[in-house]
Amino acid sequence: MERRDFIKLTAVTGTTAALTACGNPEHQLIRFVPDDDIVPGIAEWKPSVCPLCRAGCGLTVRVLDADFETTRKGQAGVVAVKAAKKLEGQPAHPVNHGGLCVRGQAAIQLTYHPDRITTPLKRTGPRGSGEFAPIAWDAAIAELVSQLDRLTDRASLACIARPRRSRRLELVAEFLSRFGAPAPIGFETFDDEVLRRANSTMFGRDQLPTFDLARAELVVSFGADFLGTWNSPVSQNAGFGEMRGRRSRGKLVQIESRMSLSGGSADEWIPVNPGTEGVLALGLAHVVSSKSAKPAAALAEYTPAAVEKITGVRAARIERLGGELAERRPAVAMIGGPALAHTNGLFHALAVNTLNVALGAVQQPGGLFFTPELPSLRAGSGALTRPSAALKNLSAQALVLVDDVNPVFGSPRAWHVAEALAKIPFIVSFGSFIDDTSVNADLLLPDHSFLESWTDSLPESGSLELVANAAPPVMRPLHDTRSTPDVLIEVGGKLKTPVALPWKTYDEMLKASFDKLGANAWDGVEKQGGFWSAAPESRITLHESPRIPNPESQIPNFDGDASAYPLHFLPYASQAFNDGSVAHLPWLQELPDPLTSAMWCSWVEINPQTAAAKKIAEGDIVEISSTQGSIRLPAFVSPGIAPNIVAVPVGQGHGVFTQFASGRGANPIAILAPMAEAETGALAWAATRVKIERVGDANRSLILFAGEMRENPHENETR
Amino acid sequence: MARRAVAVLACALAVSLVWACASELSPDSSSVFTPAHRTFGAAARHFFNVHPAAQQPIQFPHKIHLAKEAQCTDCHETVERGPVAGIPSVKTCMICHSQIATDRPLIKEVTSYSEKGIEIPWQRVYGFTHEAHVRFNHAPHIRAKVDCAACHGNLATMTVAERAVDHTMGFCVNCHRQNKAPNDCLTCHF
Amino acid sequence: MTACHAENNIPTVGPAQAARGRAMHWLRVERYWEGEFPDVRLKFRPVMCQQCDAAPCEPVCPTYASHHTAEGLNAQVYNRCIGTRYCANACPYNVRFFDFFNPAWPKPLDMQLNPDVSVREVGVMEKCTFCVQRISAAQIDAKAEKRELKDGDVKTACAQACPAKALVFGDLNDPESEVARLSRSPRGSKLLEDLGTLPKVTYLARQGDA
Repeated sequence: MERRDFIKLTAVTGTTAALTACGNPEHQLIRFVPDDDIVPGIAEWKPSVCPLCRAGCGLTVRVLDADFETTRKGQAGVVAVKAAKKLEGQPAHPVNHGGLCVRGQAAIQLTYHPDRITTPLKRTGPRGSGEFAPIAWDAAIAELVSQLDRLTDRASLACIARPRRSRRLELVAEFLSRFGAPAPIGFETFDDEVLRRANSTMFGRDQLPTFDLARAELVVSFGADFLGTWNSPVSQNAGFGEMRGRRSRGKLVQIESRMSLSGGSADEWIPVNPGTEGVLALGLAHVVSSKSAKPAAALAEYTPAAVEKITGVRAARIERLGGELAERRPAVAMIGGPALAHTNGLFHALAVNTLNVALGAVQQPGGLFFTPELPSLRAGSGALTRPSAALKNLSAQALVLVDDVNPVFGSPRAWHVAEALAKIPFIVSFGSFIDDTSVNADLLLPDHSFLESWTDSLPESGSLELVANAAPPVMRPLHDTRSTPDVLIEVGGKLKTPVALPWKTYDEMLKASFDKLGANAWDGVEKQGGFWSAAPESRITLHESPRIPNPESQIPNFDGDASAYPLHFLPYASQAFNDGSVAHLPWLQELPDPLTSAMWCSWVEINPQTAAAKKIAEGDIVEISSTQGSIRLPAFVSPGIAPNIVAVPVGQGHGVFTQFASGRGANPIAILAPMAEAETGALAWAATRVKIERVGDANRSLILFAGEMRENPHENETR
Repeated sequence: MARRAVAVLACALAVSLVWACASELSPDSSSVFTPAHRTFGAAARHFFNVHPAAQQPIQFPHKIHLAKEAQCTDCHETVERGPVAGIPSVKTCMICHSQIATDRPLIKEVTSYSEKGIEIPWQRVYGFTHEAHVRFNHAPHIRAKVDCAACHGNLATMTVAERAVDHTMGFCVNCHRQNKAPNDCLTCHF
Repeated sequence: MTACHAENNIPTVGPAQAARGRAMHWLRVERYWEGEFPDVRLKFRPVMCQQCDAAPCEPVCPTYASHHTAEGLNAQVYNRCIGTRYCANACPYNVRFFDFFNPAWPKPLDMQLNPDVSVREVGVMEKCTFCVQRISAAQIDAKAEKRELKDGDVKTACAQACPAKALVFGDLNDPESEVARLSRSPRGSKLLEDLGTLPKVTYLARQGDA
């Protein structure tokens, strides 16, 4: 049976264990005695933590008995296990307040995925061929120990991990530090590092912000898809829902050139020239400031007329919106996503921070706050190495550990990550799936899924209270996998020069951390998946007068000559897949995209005029080319995008990523030019220009849920 | 001539059908879960309502246990709280039989399963086909003081459970009507 | 939407069948665009079975598989359904879905299936049930505790998951319930009201639209 045709079954195919029919069943698999006392049919609810993004939402998991087919002592059989059945948000959790985003709901499929790596694997064929053979854990750990012992230069050990604040990452960093290796390379495609730098500069906090939307009257978002994927989406949704449900319903203004999910919910949608968001913010700050007692001299040059010339937003509109911001309080501004992904991203972030100061929004109800942070358990600093620099030097390393990240997929081809990996003598992957990066590994040591192991996270935003998430496993591991932090502890102990970590197990580390928070903090872990408490107002060092960013960095740079590459290219974090790390979950593949209703495919959003000029109709195959390469995908003609921009969702286009995502669609990140934000070096992923060409007729590769008898996506409603 | 040929063919078909039903099939190794029937034989059996009586590996004597004042709920524990009565694990048997009657040959068989970590392969006696889409919930029935014997027969007279009561829909609906319990389709079928 | 799939054992049909319009999203989100760039506006609308009091899908079913219960739900009884698909034909909201094939879950994805809900086989229609399994469980629990169901005891999977709390579920017959209160709002309207289906879902318009 072809793997992808998993639905084309007729009346006669396989069925499951015996309990479906009484009497003499077809087959009876041997049933093993369960490891736990199984209480059939009665659910327990256990706390957990969602690991998919840095928001760190609290979960409560419905656990019921289920049959699991497995092999014991060479015999195939079935055993009843306590299995997670459904993930829900925890009602009292300070970040998500009982809600859960679509990716969090789908996360349960990570545990039950048919293509999970179920035992340690060793490479048997050439690198990247995907040929692996199972080996036992003892042999696998011995192999890693021997490879590490063989390193002559201990600093040539590198680790790539997600830069998410957690004790788990601190353990990994501590291991590396005591080994003598550099800090982990923090890789995340959509990281908003630029915003952290702006907050550090203006507020003394190297952290993403938290917004009190529930009490805001006017919210202006510069490109931040805060209801979709940006920052702490569920928390922001909860606040936004309250804002809308109030008697004095708040107003949302979204400033972006491609309508995002958040833009869809906005009262006013304002397109702006790409890379000029900060200028608009300063223009608004100018208007606000001019109505105050002491207008800021530094903002004087940002008159509406001057700002109109740069941003394309009409002066009258800037005046009016500025006036609203001055009067309607509390008001707050946010910036994220594409607005920061320019070569002058820091300018925009500082500009919006300046606007917030002018609005009096900092640490005021309805405004901008920072989640209280916990000090690191580690002696040294918690800084991670910047990926843009480190990944370019990756080929100099002798041994690389890949901790469940996919830089081959998530970085532009121009960064040459795949080529760098090819030169590294030994690569180890801890992830649970074979993807574009881990297919190149020599040794795969699969971690448990998050429901099967201790898990923790320290949300850096989304909560006004202090939050430390940690939860015990919700179910026993289904397969022969091991918790990565515990593997590292074991490996550390077996080295010739041992790396003696101060904790014997990962959960021991967690307990030590929680005991520091308070006498009963650890009880919270078993009961609710973490510890949270109102914390004293956190320190913010605010500068007296608004810090106006350097006007010389007002204008961004773009890759690609404007005549040859006339359109701006916008790869955006998709609602279904975010950065693509969950593209292998079938529920998410079949989820209709909120803006287009597309499923199981990639597409490019094109403005109707631009499409007409190129004779592109919906579904036609379009080739998008940058200076770095090209991709082909079907077109979706969308009213919500500027004529000089084309947008492609990120997430599809994996070469290797399980039966559901391999070879499906196109990856827009691949063709990005290696543009960098000037101050931080972060990838400026909105700074590439492209050209488009119609190359083929519609061929059913654009799969939409809407249309025919359902709502016509292109019919205008004028009611 | 033609009629005989047809008769022969029909016989052959019937024989092969019966043969298909009777043959032992290897353990399920399908990698896909689906509500479809696994073989033609299974589908045919379902269609003709063929449900052979259960063949138990050990002749479990309900009457002996009930005579020793065991309650139904001592082994079928969750029936008061949840939907499933369940067939108890061999661990439940061993709670008593690690010490009681350990010299009897049947108990030795039970113990041997337990030591191997394998459940006794009981065959289910009562149940509904998948296609009946019945979501039966024991707990409200127990709370309504319906006696186990009302639906499962007088087990004090049985060794292994036999299908003493035929669980047709009429059987359920009659009792619901008499006892003014909800009779809507959605009460059970969802 | 995924919360609904997870709760109700909705099959994933795959790209080939999805391309033929056979994806089964009991709950979907529609989008309505207004205007042209740069003055574009968008409205989202979640649509599920409206459990119509005068449901057009009920009189057309030859086997009484689709009928109205005393509690106001439109019941879909899978074992009565013979798959004429006339109910889907009649439904103006297009919220009924047919199992063209036996659904399949590559193991062990099937371990996630909810035992409180049927797994439908080929040939039957299915649709949103307002999480009747949760309603039923809550009623049984309330009866066991000798009390009435109160507002908030039952949450449909979609309403529970929604991060913005945009969906509210409850007993319309209870005038104090949140859903009854919100349904009386002057902002409220119903979908395709002029067809006379008497749908039970009330949509609250955005206030103060500029």
